[in-house]
Amino acid sequence: MNEAERVGWLCSYVPEEVIMAAGLLPVRVSGGGGTVGTADAYLYPNVCPFVKSVMALGLNGQTKDMSGLVFTRSCDGMRRLYDVWKAYVPTRFVYMLEVPKNRDGAAVAYFATQLRRFATVLGQEFGREITDRSLNQAIEAANQARRLMQGMYQTQRTIPLPFSGSEVFQLGLEGMGMAKDAFVKKLKEYRLPTANQTSGKGKDGKARILVMGNVVDRPDLFNLIENGGADVVAADLCTAMRHFDYLVEEDAEEPYLALARGYLNRPGCARMTGVEERLADMMKLAKDYAVDGVVYTSVKFCDQHLSDAPYFAEKLKEAGIPILFLENDYTWSTIGQLKTRVEAFIEMLDAGRR
Amino acid sequence: MLKYFYEQMKQTVEEKLQQKPNAWLMYIGQLASTLLKAYDKDAKVVWTTYYSFPMELLAAFDVVPFDFEISCNLLTGPDPKSCVDIMTKSEARGYSVDICSFQRLALGCHFLDYFPKADLFLTTSHFCDGKTKTNQILAQYYGKEAVMLDVPNELSKESVAYVSGQLQNIAKKLEEVSGQKLDYDRLRECVRASNRARAAYGRLAEVQKSKPFPWDGFRVCNLSIIGNMFSGSPFQERLYQKLTEECQQRLAEGRVSPEDFRVLWLAWVPVQPTNINDILRQNKVSIVMSELARVYWDEIDEKKPFEGMALRCLKNPYVGTIEQRLSGVLQLAEEYDVNGAIHFSSTACRHANAAVRVIGDALEKKGIPLLELDGDMSDQRCYSPDRTKSLLETFVGLMASRK
Repeated sequence: MNEAERVGWLCSYVPEEVIMAAGLLPVRVSGGGGTVGTADAYLYPNVCPFVKSVMALGLNGQTKDMSGLVFTRSCDGMRRLYDVWKAYVPTRFVYMLEVPKNRDGAAVAYFATQLRRFATVLGQEFGREITDRSLNQAIEAANQARRLMQGMYQTQRTIPLPFSGSEVFQLGLEGMGMAKDAFVKKLKEYRLPTANQTSGKGKDGKARILVMGNVVDRPDLFNLIENGGADVVAADLCTAMRHFDYLVEEDAEEPYLALARGYLNRPGCARMTGVEERLADMMKLAKDYAVDGVVYTSVKFCDQHLSDAPYFAEKLKEAGIPILFLENDYTWSTIGQLKTRVEAFIEMLDAGRR
Repeated sequence: MLKYFYEQMKQTVEEKLQQKPNAWLMYIGQLASTLLKAYDKDAKVVWTTYYSFPMELLAAFDVVPFDFEISCNLLTGPDPKSCVDIMTKSEARGYSVDICSFQRLALGCHFLDYFPKADLFLTTSHFCDGKTKTNQILAQYYGKEAVMLDVPNELSKESVAYVSGQLQNIAKKLEEVSGQKLDYDRLRECVRASNRARAAYGRLAEVQKSKPFPWDGFRVCNLSIIGNMFSGSPFQERLYQKLTEECQQRLAEGRVSPEDFRVLWLAWVPVQPTNINDILRQNKVSIVMSELARVYWDEIDEKKPFEGMALRCLKNPYVGTIEQRLSGVLQLAEEYDVNGAIHFSSTACRHANAAVRVIGDALEKKGIPLLELDGDMSDQRCYSPDRTKSLLETFVGLMASRK
């Protein structure tokens, strides 16, 4: 088995387990908040800057160390990125994985067929057979990492926080680019507070903030909030809790079905149907993590998140939870302007809690 | 406001039809009547997407299909300024100017209480993210169920079964809303009507290949988007027959515009008033076909109507990878013997615009230049007549140099 062979994935709905079961290393590919470079020549200007920065990586040859790349129908921009990538960035293995937008039994069954097909094509390309046994082992390994990350998230319910929100966020990001056993080893090095310690109550004077939105893969916003005197206690992002806060059934007789069920029924991205389910997930997070306010951020030109934001803001307001909406350009180049708004928001939260 | 607008539209059309009947007026009149029916107190109103939902299924029930995008954007042509004012109502509530103007206008109409009631919200995952999201949000505001027909990006027996199964579930929802059991004989008749209309449209598409082009290219585009609302009704076949007869008559009488260049139109058309048609006419350019007007689907098997409707969705050029769209574009470019292609890139139409370079490069290999014409379908604030004029005239020059 050649562990150095890396296969990139672009959306958190790509089950890493299938790639792992082929003896390959799944790694998240992100533009890292980088600029779009020459991608504007290939993609329409009003496409999300995340998509364009990924294209820029490909054009600049920064993905050459990867043997393959897996796309999904995450959104209009992402599915067209697949088209453009395939046409202009020579890559050994490029795959479009179909991920349903519904979550019901029919969608789960259909997704399972797509995962099986993906496994077959991937296995054929790399000359490795993916068995139910190897897939179940991969599920177990991925779950182990998820459980440990969930343990980290649990600690964020305590007051004061044992780890900063930015630290937990960075840890999760790091885990998306390394082998699961190495990630598990790293997570185990953290000494989590005991159950007694995690039941602490009372205010430590800091506002507790839920960050939510789409792709954030730099700590700028977290740092801004923390430097402004508040804590990020939860992050409903595909680069944070949404990626880890669920489990896939282990030792399943039909592991593809188990994967499909696990991935489609986890806390959803705005791409999935069910605005009301997503709203309920958000309200639950706000309650579980004793949130004082929400910072909702979206990269520019993301139809899914930009459309949800005003409706969620209305509902949060009705629930008495203040919200700050921040549109970002993925490179966080406007961080100076955002600083003023974030600080004002924290001040407002502090004033409300006095 | 919208209801009054449809009433005026219907009345004007009826008056004109009495003076000089023609197919286009028939079409506009039928559209206005359908939209007006949605305001009837006893109507069962199903909000849907005329241009992508398999309308044959709705035609099998006594429900009124109402498209929140089309309905309000009809207003953009006669009154673009008011539409901007309506859009600002949604923008003021936080809806970003970066989302599609069709969605902002629809949300604005909702906030101003212009829309009829809704009994069910039905849409499809194709063509775009914005529409499916607005469908869900509007359903929340109305306190009604939102159902999305999830159309995957790949064609296989599994995806056909997946879409077909969803359509069967949607039929059950329609039974609940309408209070009627699905009558399979009626559904089969709707499918037959749709197949007949498909054949009639094929004849119209053949006549459109004539040189010079015997019709109005913008109307071809319009019909390819809104005309789908009549799929499953006998009206659609009558409409296409009448349009074909009129084209043949124009050709026979030599009542056609002079034509130096033939152009294939890609993506959507602006519904707001623009100078595009005038500039094209001045330069003797005909829009001879729209990529959305291609008959891309097979006849629906009346013995397997759900599967047939699923296939129609899955074969849509805006589903699947760019190859599915591109093959249709190249086919039309050849069949209609075009000198160039124009892609109207409406600002937020990411599903259409994002990979347009792939299409441009493929057309260029065939020696066909592509103009990517930026603008907005309905937001007057994002349309520049001067820039459009400059781009179109330069493009005409390019086509001339290659002729």
